[in-house]
Amino acid sequence: MANPTPADIENLIELFNRSEWDEMHLKTDDLEIFLSNDPNARRPSAQVVAAPVAAPAALGAATTAAPAASSAAAAAAAHPAEVSIPAGMVAVRAPNLGTFYRAPKPGAPAYVEVGQAIEADTEVCLIEVMKLFTPVKSGVKGTVRQIVVNDGTMVEYEQVLVIIEPAA
Amino acid sequence: MTIKRTLVANRGEIAVRIIRAAHALGIEAVQVVSAADRDSEAARMADQVVVIGPAPSKQSYLNAGLIVHAAKQTGCDALHPGYGFLSERAELANLCAENGITFVGPAAETIGALGDKLRSRAIAAGAGVPLVPGTDQIASVTAAHHAAEKLGYPVLMKASAGGGGRGMFVARNADAITASFDAASTEAQEAFGDGTLYMETYVENARHVEVQAVGDGKGRVVHFGERDCSVQRRYQKVIEEAPCALMPAKLRAELHEAAVKLLSSMKYLNAGTVEFLYDVNRQAIYFIEVNTRIQVEHPVSEQVTGFDLVQTQFRIAAGEAALPRQDQIKLNRHAIECRINAEDAAKNFMPSPGRITRWAPPRGAGIRVDSHCRDGYLVPPYYDSMIAKLIVTADSRPEAVERLKVALAHFEIEGLTTNIPLLRYIAAQENFAANRFHTRWLEQDVLPSFQQDHA
Repeated sequence: MANPTPADIENLIELFNRSEWDEMHLKTDDLEIFLSNDPNARRPSAQVVAAPVAAPAALGAATTAAPAASSAAAAAAAHPAEVSIPAGMVAVRAPNLGTFYRAPKPGAPAYVEVGQAIEADTEVCLIEVMKLFTPVKSGVKGTVRQIVVNDGTMVEYEQVLVIIEPAA
Repeated sequence: MTIKRTLVANRGEIAVRIIRAAHALGIEAVQVVSAADRDSEAARMADQVVVIGPAPSKQSYLNAGLIVHAAKQTGCDALHPGYGFLSERAELANLCAENGITFVGPAAETIGALGDKLRSRAIAAGAGVPLVPGTDQIASVTAAHHAAEKLGYPVLMKASAGGGGRGMFVARNADAITASFDAASTEAQEAFGDGTLYMETYVENARHVEVQAVGDGKGRVVHFGERDCSVQRRYQKVIEEAPCALMPAKLRAELHEAAVKLLSSMKYLNAGTVEFLYDVNRQAIYFIEVNTRIQVEHPVSEQVTGFDLVQTQFRIAAGEAALPRQDQIKLNRHAIECRINAEDAAKNFMPSPGRITRWAPPRGAGIRVDSHCRDGYLVPPYYDSMIAKLIVTADSRPEAVERLKVALAHFEIEGLTTNIPLLRYIAAQENFAANRFHTRWLEQDVLPSFQQDHA
């Protein structure tokens, strides 16, 4: 479906409502739609702002842009997607909400890089809350395998920040 | 409506209430939650949910830094604090002001001035509002003994930094003061960060009567009538009504005037409630304190005036000319609210958190239920036990009492123990129907026989 119109979207919603499907996830170059009858359904991607199935006008608005506000708000518009932790690895999670920083100061070298060997008390990142900065320790000796969050983005309590492969 | 997006800095039923009002005005709602409230009703209703910390309040709903950080990062231009938690801490209002976020409530200085109960008494005295005879701060047991001799027993000792009954005790003689002074000061220190106590004459046969008011911040204040909140346990309200049917018209007029005069003298902004003691024997009213927030029991005032107070709060915060003229506010009918708590009234009010397996509130004309609960909802153990408010409205108080009995009879909650059996017992009391009670009635006269019947 190239250049979907609001009518197309309404047709999709009607199709879905008449069907016995529980959910529908449609992705094209121009559009991504996730429809579900389950109010607890997880949105499949962090970029989509899902709208209630009964409101095609709202859905039309939702497929274009996140609510107009600061760019920080646009980045944080939807819940962070669930990150799957590879088997045997350990996640370093945010101890509370805050803004995630990879380095102690702007321009300084990052706390850790992917592939780096670290100790349990190595600081791996910074969480800032209203200008109060608290480093987060790894908690496990091993190797940094993934830095999940982008520098300067808001993270929620328990959100996965860094993935560590524990030392044997 | 110039406010685009509000942060909801509270939980439970009031968060739901705030989101409803916001959405009705076209304002988006960002709900901050602790890990325990991830799947709460407010979280489901909000446009965005942000998990700020683990379950304990100190690491979530009481952490102003986390809350304002979330507000800034999600592009909120307003913040509603609800009641309890940080709603009367100038710190939160100040942090909002410093960060360009409109606090939906009074100015930070007003919160600070009126939040100190001793200072608020001085302000009231300055505005010519009658006070309960009382003292300034009392630093020791000895000083308390002296003060009590002067005032005359019985006396009431209270915390100057906060309310809700914490740090409060009645003393009928010097020994009672000696026995309770230190514990009360410690309780106040823990609840409010300040153990300062002061003393007032203890009024027997008192009613707790309060006036709902809203100000425009420029000196104009209107009132939405009074509420009678005399059915209390440990100074916590259990049943609230509007209006105070017992008070004669002339005294009611004085009451309203005193509240408006006090708040107007401070150029009070947004919603607030002025609390009084109604000394029924002496037919006198005495100022107690001001609550600089929307209160739990605001629905009864909404029911008898037809105004949506939370929407009014948002509109005032947005700078709209939202204050009606006093003559546009007409009090009509009678409303009674019961707080439904997850607690076992027969077992010393032991909290009863857990999963609700059946949630069937009453419905029908004149019945309103404000709640965040639903079938299958897990009431968490970390917060206060209130799970719903049942509000009935009818043409007169006797009809409201009848409607209340029917509504309570049809309120079914399974999976937890609630205080509904106690509420039904209270509603069935002859003295309740006859409007013959005082602030000690529930604890002194009703609870002992209730607990005996349900032992």
